[in-house]
Amino acid sequence: MRRSIGFEIFRYAAILLAVAITLVPIVWMLSMAFKPVAEWQATGANLTWWPKNPTLDNFRFIFGQSASGLIIALEKTAARPILSSLLSASFGTLIAMAAGTAAAYGLSRFRAGGNLPLALIQLRLFPPMAVMIPVMIMWTFLRLNDTWYGLALIYGIVTLPFAFWLMKTFFDEFPREIEEAALVEGCSRLRVFLKVTLPMMAAPLASSALFVFILNWSDYLIALLLTNREWATIPVYMASLSSSMTGQLYGAKAALGLIAAVPPVIAGIAIQRHLVRGLTFGALKQ
Amino acid sequence: MSTDAAKAPMSAADSDRKLGFYLTLPAQILVLFIALFPLLMQLYISLTDWSPLTGRGWWDAWAFWNTFGNYVELTVDARWWGALWRTVLVMLICVPAEFLLGLALATLFIDNFRGKRVFYSIILMPMMVVPAVAGYMFFMLFQSGGPINNIASALSGQNVAIAWLSNPNLAFVAVVVADIWQWTPLMFLILLAGLVGVPDDQLKAATLLGANWWQRFTTIMLPRMKGIIVIAVAIRLIENFKIFDTLYIMTAGGPGVATETISVYIYKLTTNDLAWGYVAAIALVILISLSIVLGIAISRQARAGEGAA
Amino acid sequence: MSSIHLKALTKSFGNFEAIKQMDLMVRDGEFLALLGPSGCGKSTTMNIIAGMEAPSTGRVFFDERDVSDVPMTRRGVGFVFQNYAIFTHMNVRANLAYGLRMRGVGPAEIDRRVAAIAEFLQLTPFLDQPSAKLSVNILQRLAIGRSAIVEPAIFLLDEPLSNVDAAFRAVMRTELKHLQRQFKQTMVYVTHDQLEAMTMADRIAVMDHGVLQQVGTPLEVYNNPANIFVARFIGSPGMNLVPATLVERDGALLADLGAAGASRPLEAGLAAAARAAGAREVWFGFRPEGVNLAADGQGLAVTITFLERIGSRTIVHFDAAGTAGKAVFENDVPLAAGTVAQLVPADALVRLFDRQSGLAIGGA
Repeated sequence: MRRSIGFEIFRYAAILLAVAITLVPIVWMLSMAFKPVAEWQATGANLTWWPKNPTLDNFRFIFGQSASGLIIALEKTAARPILSSLLSASFGTLIAMAAGTAAAYGLSRFRAGGNLPLALIQLRLFPPMAVMIPVMIMWTFLRLNDTWYGLALIYGIVTLPFAFWLMKTFFDEFPREIEEAALVEGCSRLRVFLKVTLPMMAAPLASSALFVFILNWSDYLIALLLTNREWATIPVYMASLSSSMTGQLYGAKAALGLIAAVPPVIAGIAIQRHLVRGLTFGALKQ
Repeated sequence: MSTDAAKAPMSAADSDRKLGFYLTLPAQILVLFIALFPLLMQLYISLTDWSPLTGRGWWDAWAFWNTFGNYVELTVDARWWGALWRTVLVMLICVPAEFLLGLALATLFIDNFRGKRVFYSIILMPMMVVPAVAGYMFFMLFQSGGPINNIASALSGQNVAIAWLSNPNLAFVAVVVADIWQWTPLMFLILLAGLVGVPDDQLKAATLLGANWWQRFTTIMLPRMKGIIVIAVAIRLIENFKIFDTLYIMTAGGPGVATETISVYIYKLTTNDLAWGYVAAIALVILISLSIVLGIAISRQARAGEGAA
Repeated sequence: MSSIHLKALTKSFGNFEAIKQMDLMVRDGEFLALLGPSGCGKSTTMNIIAGMEAPSTGRVFFDERDVSDVPMTRRGVGFVFQNYAIFTHMNVRANLAYGLRMRGVGPAEIDRRVAAIAEFLQLTPFLDQPSAKLSVNILQRLAIGRSAIVEPAIFLLDEPLSNVDAAFRAVMRTELKHLQRQFKQTMVYVTHDQLEAMTMADRIAVMDHGVLQQVGTPLEVYNNPANIFVARFIGSPGMNLVPATLVERDGALLADLGAAGASRPLEAGLAAAARAAGAREVWFGFRPEGVNLAADGQGLAVTITFLERIGSRTIVHFDAAGTAGKAVFENDVPLAAGTVAQLVPADALVRLFDRQSGLAIGGA
């Protein structure tokens, strides 16, 4: 469709405005992460959108190296929370993808699973807070409390619906003729699934896994309730960074926030094409 | 060699069904794990006044039996109703705002233009930011010496030093702004997929029949997107109902209870007051209400499906 | 109802020249078929007439009005898309009423006109039905009605029958032609099916690779193709073209067919035109119909490769010293695959084309 010049100008103006609004918080956190302590609380005329003296001090700080200008060294560095986030998100993804993919195939090819789809929707429908007390009690009982693997387990359960619905739509789209050809050659159904279908689904599997990983990595509430000193994840640790003595450690927290936010954003852009599918439980495709 | 019926090999259909069963089994177990015990346990302690503060385990909760005491208390709990009201208010403001902004932005992205891919990726970014980190971003932004006031000062020419997060109403505004920032891209993403799915031919036909852009938008595009719009709005309503991460980090529900939503209130009851019996009652009320709503929605869908035939 | 005049039209998409140079006149009330293979530029031409595309150069006129700068919402063009583009989320009535609604016509007037056109197109029983699942036949009428109700100056149809079952196609073709006559509508009909064009059109405009090859009535285009493309494209099967050299012998002009057979004398008018054009290397063209079997030593010496029985007739595929060709005979023709035969085309139906340019020598 031909568009008038006036419309094109309007379009670019509107989009640039949207882009600006989108980037303001991100740029601010980006710049704060590289600002020295002196600039953290700058206000009014002194407030700059870019650090006057950019520094890596904040990053050093959260990893335990006390740098000039920062009063108190942390008793715990950010290394462990990063590890905790990584382990719990990865293994949580593994659990969700394994159970979800298998179940999705079962539903797609054999119409198995009964009420599973409905149950999974309900799982996402209810506020996590409504089930956290029993979960806390169960986890403590099973000695899963404040561990990365306990966290991984609950993550796997909570993101199972996404893994399931994503893989189900992908399986539905996968041509049955290929599987049938293998069956005719004498392969068992299970072998076909493992040796024929799954290898060819490497790309959808990867995209779905990334999607689930982003969700797990982004959790705050569950980790808040289920972890403590030992295995706090990045968001939990971040919230605990300020104290009445140090006041708000803007720069340090911003640096930490950056570390936490970058992987999902990159992963998200990588799987852009599948976002609609994942976020609408497979109801829509892009 | 005659085949004994009992030893006959399983038919293909039977072995398929068995495989299907085993494939779905792990997922079923996980769901049961998270559903069964929590439900039963909460049913139990919701009828008691138990709290971990009592020093006894939850199985001893019967000692603090108060039958429907919690439920009754809920009906007169002003703080609960406030939280519920605030949650609904957030939903009523955020979701329509995100929808309209997302739709408007999506209409600009229908055709191709220079830089489309780059702008598209940038605009999607907010919804990929870890919500807790987004909470912190906006916490920083809304400081009285912070960038938002800085921009406002630059635009208005006066020195703006609003204490957003200490003002009950403004804190609410800040929380809403943060949510809109983060989730408008989601609406944008879904609605754009819907807009692009409208058949080009029909739009051309409409244009040749004299329809201008707005007429095409209202008579062809929007009607054809009804299903997608319902899905997008439903998904956002559900997620918005559960709002916690971003909000809690920005205001912790404050000042006072000015931004306290359902999830925040329940969280505080759980970790501050440790009134776990009471929390269980609330949880069950929510669970039952949502199940009813879900049931109604599903039966309406089923009836709509039949009616269209 | 208007005439259409395309003046000096060209259209390029980047480096690709979709239309190289086009001057075309469609008469008021005429049914013109825009015929050509895929990618010849016919759909692009249509889009330019409708205003969906702007030409790179050139102007478009409806009667005397220059409409080149008039936007497509106001050009008054009726358009039937290949898949009809019915608004499937509306019922039949709403589809028909759409154009009038967009013009702000009052509801009473709309109802009246919708009823009238539905009556005319026999759509009345379907008026309140959802348009999504109706049969192709009804959809075609609906598509036409939807465009016709706003009384457009011209009607454009983009291969509307290509998605229709072969059995239905003939029926719908007749209906379409009938409607065109009744509406006295100027119609431009795009198709790649030469049979369709031949049966429906008042005139045919043949296109290839963005260039207009010939414009004429079906009979003109069939009997006197302007170049070898038209000669081959029109007719089922198309014209046979055998390379030949013109030689003078005993005062007469002969076409020397080389290894393909004995030289053929040219009919007087054709010979005169050939002499006047100074032609030497030519294509010797003759249609598969109008070929007779002959005794040895006369006409083309061919090897029969294959007999194709199509029910009413037999198409004989042959090879004439390297040139493949076809001839159409009655079913009782005494020929068999693998044998040789002599074929003589009727002299009056022979056409010559310059080997260099491909253009016809002589002409209607």
